[in-house]
Amino acid sequence: MKKELKIKQKERTNPLAHVFDDFIRFCQSKSLFMLHYCTGCGAIELPPAMTSRFDMERLGIQPMVTPRQADILLITGYVSIKTLKRVILTYEQMQSPKYVIGICSCTVNGGMYWQSYATAKKLNEYMPVDVYIAGCMPRPEAVMAGLQRLKDNIRNDKKEHKGSAWKDYFKRYDYYLGNQQALFGEDWQTPTDIIAEAKLYGLETEETYGKHTKLLEKHQTPLLPQEMRIK
Amino acid sequence: MRPENYQAVKLGDSNEYEIFIGPNHPGIEGNYAFRLMLDGDIVVSGKADAGYLHRGFEKLMEGRLWIQNLAIVPRICVPDPAPMEVAYSMAVEEIMGIEAPIRAQWIRTMQLELSRVAAHLFTFGGHAATTGMYTPMFWGVADRDLVLDLFEDFTGGRVYSIYNIPGGVRRELPPEFLQKLSNLLDYLESRQNDYDNLLFTNQVFVERAKGCGALTQSQALELSVTGPNLRACGLAYDVRRDDPYLVYDELEFDIPRQKHGDAYSRILVRRDELFQSIRILRQIIERLPSIKGKIRTPIPNPLSWNVRKGEAYARVESSKGELAYYVVSDGGDKPYRVHVRGPSSMHAVQTLEFLAKGARLEDVAQIMFSLDACPPEVDR
Ligand code: SF4
Repeated sequence: MKKELKIKQKERTNPLAHVFDDFIRFCQSKSLFMLHYCTGCGAIELPPAMTSRFDMERLGIQPMVTPRQADILLITGYVSIKTLKRVILTYEQMQSPKYVIGICSCTVNGGMYWQSYATAKKLNEYMPVDVYIAGCMPRPEAVMAGLQRLKDNIRNDKKEHKGSAWKDYFKRYDYYLGNQQALFGEDWQTPTDIIAEAKLYGLETEETYGKHTKLLEKHQTPLLPQEMRIK
Repeated sequence: MRPENYQAVKLGDSNEYEIFIGPNHPGIEGNYAFRLMLDGDIVVSGKADAGYLHRGFEKLMEGRLWIQNLAIVPRICVPDPAPMEVAYSMAVEEIMGIEAPIRAQWIRTMQLELSRVAAHLFTFGGHAATTGMYTPMFWGVADRDLVLDLFEDFTGGRVYSIYNIPGGVRRELPPEFLQKLSNLLDYLESRQNDYDNLLFTNQVFVERAKGCGALTQSQALELSVTGPNLRACGLAYDVRRDDPYLVYDELEFDIPRQKHGDAYSRILVRRDELFQSIRILRQIIERLPSIKGKIRTPIPNPLSWNVRKGEAYARVESSKGELAYYVVSDGGDKPYRVHVRGPSSMHAVQTLEFLAKGARLEDVAQIMFSLDACPPEVDR
């Protein structure tokens, strides 16, 4: 018998709650660690943006090597289907709040490779994207402007519609999963349990579930007691 | 899937274990992966895992007009895109039986050499970073940016210039461009001492790089290694001299080479090549003003342009090695078949696998960067 985890969201009674929230958002926007997954040619404009000439560290943004400690996932260019699987695994491993930036026209609508059999065309069908930086390839100035835009979004995110795209992944998990399954086959599984996380954050809605999440359960190998697995 | 259901793959009874480097890893060049079987920290075997950047280039090119293809060819090799355009244009010119005007050929040569300078500056930083030195990375990228500024000046694009078309180049050089180029070369030469002290004679780097990933000449030839990696083994083979194209037969330059074929020799060859490129560029600055004339042989309306039946094989020396285009036309408005012979697919797959065997885990990244392969060109 599976026991359901019940977590109650605390009522917020503190009258100063919004002041704290503002302060936290301010701090978040000033210190962002960026995981750049060099998926395509746009990656070549990142070294100039990171090093002495354009220097994104003055915006408080630094590269980070592991997904679990990163806040921003930077997708730099076209994503082939093989890469997209890894991108999704990486994205799901990151801790919330997390932000995705799509650099290059190829992530917006397929760009140059609109008729290629090997690339995924629109990134925001597979994961929520916060900021797109269009251009083929965008100049370092554009990259900096995009990062600045993200910082502003995080900071002024009072109504939760600009800097909170990551919540959408939990709220509409069925939609994203459906698109992923259409590409990778219906037995597509990732090691992260998104539904449990959605419950934990209190973000599950009706659209979290659907016919695609049912497939997920169907193809999942049944849960075995721990002792039997160790051998 | 719930995490409890995820089972690690168990190998049989042995000390060996398997790890992945990449595709998202600071020690790998671009979007590329390498699977290693390790015993302690000695690599037992390595297997390249390519395909993350596959876009189906050769197929895409069959579906686009001759002129449209110019927009996608530079994307095959991102750090050094100019040789791609030139090789493709040269192949198409050969099928059409036309030749670019002499001034265009000089400008193309200049573009190729500038691109080589930019690519080598980029490599120094990447290679040094794998040994834990990050300052060369900052210097190399900043100096490369100055070259990119010049590219922007005369082609309009920082990285992808799309400046060549079959029959010549698209635009005249802007006024005072050669003066700017000459200033840049002065600056780069003045940096030579700094780079030597920081990187090429720095014991921290030399100790790590010497003897790492050594290739003998016959092994290199067996593995189809070309370019600076082959010259580091002592064989002075360079397409620019052995099969001259454009105006290289009128220019004076040496072919730098080294004896040992290890990572250190490879970076020294690149360093010397950088200064040879500067020498070539100086000769171009001298000669170019006296060469007058058109920069483009007219071609028919590119939107309804049928290239006559035939095939051509054009090769150039890119900063990574020998690069060639094999283009076949059946007389239509699109190529019938285009094949790219890129240097990186030989370097990053077979050579890397060969060199990784027996190396130590911490050297694998260095070997990869010292071969200077470019993953988008492996996958295409
Ligand atoms: S938009 Fe252009 S530069 Fe960016 S990944 Fe696509 S082809 Fe490359």
